[in-house]
Amino acid sequence: MPNILDIAKLVLPLVAGIIMGYLLREKKSLNLGKITSGIILVLIFSLGFTMGSNGELLAVMPNVGVTTIVLLALALFFSILFVKAAKKLVRI
Amino acid sequence: MKYILAALAIGVLAGYVNNNFGFPSLNTFISDYAFNLSLIALLFFMGLLFGADKEALAKLRKTGFKILAFPSAIALGSITGGLVGGILLGTNVFASMGVCAGYGWYTLTGPLAGQLFGLEWGAIGFTVNFLREITTIVTISVARKIDKYAPVAMGGATAMDTTLPVIVRYCGQDTLITAFSSGFTLTMIAPFAITTIAALAH
Repeated sequence: MPNILDIAKLVLPLVAGIIMGYLLREKKSLNLGKITSGIILVLIFSLGFTMGSNGELLAVMPNVGVTTIVLLALALFFSILFVKAAKKLVRI
Repeated sequence: MKYILAALAIGVLAGYVNNNFGFPSLNTFISDYAFNLSLIALLFFMGLLFGADKEALAKLRKTGFKILAFPSAIALGSITGGLVGGILLGTNVFASMGVCAGYGWYTLTGPLAGQLFGLEWGAIGFTVNFLREITTIVTISVARKIDKYAPVAMGGATAMDTTLPVIVRYCGQDTLITAFSSGFTLTMIAPFAITTIAALAH
């Protein structure tokens, strides 16, 4: 099970943001494009850093190549296919 | 997009160099503090933009409970991919379905698949799901042309955290709740899905 604190860490800022955004909606238009773009880059950089510093992960990569690529490609293909079908089915 | 790829590539390189020649304490600082703080800040700002967007709320109200169709479709799609892949590769289909049922949550699937299906599957579980996250980020500008919600499908469980900001940025403000709730639901399902598939194998 995912840790309750990990979930709260994600849900709380999101909910706080939605409430604050809702309260501020009549105010001047919010321009956060540049700030969010900057933070996305920090996030992606730290994600890459975590992977690059994980020696075990880098070591196993070459040994499981073909199986990994086939399973990944098919899991992605069928996920997209089923989501497209679900959209039609429930008319989203 | 090219900035995102550059940030990822420089991050991997910096992490690799630092791990081999640098300061271990920098690892904790970036992997824990920088990562978590930027994630929390982003979720807050994404929420803020969503709350302030009148159309986004109206669209969500119109969708209602139909929103759960996405995680169900993604869960089924991922496991089907595992089944077809297992058959094509002539390998253990339960193990291949099990690793695909991690929906991108590699820190869970790696250790869990290793325990349930053996060490090799642990490594495969780790890499399939880790690459699922990376592929979602790297291919987003192409994937969104296939379908607005294709990146949500690809991101799987990661659509509630790491891939969420990128998805919202490229697919629109109104995808926020769909992506988050889909990722959230898949995160809750993943541990049960993997262990249930393992139980069926025995």
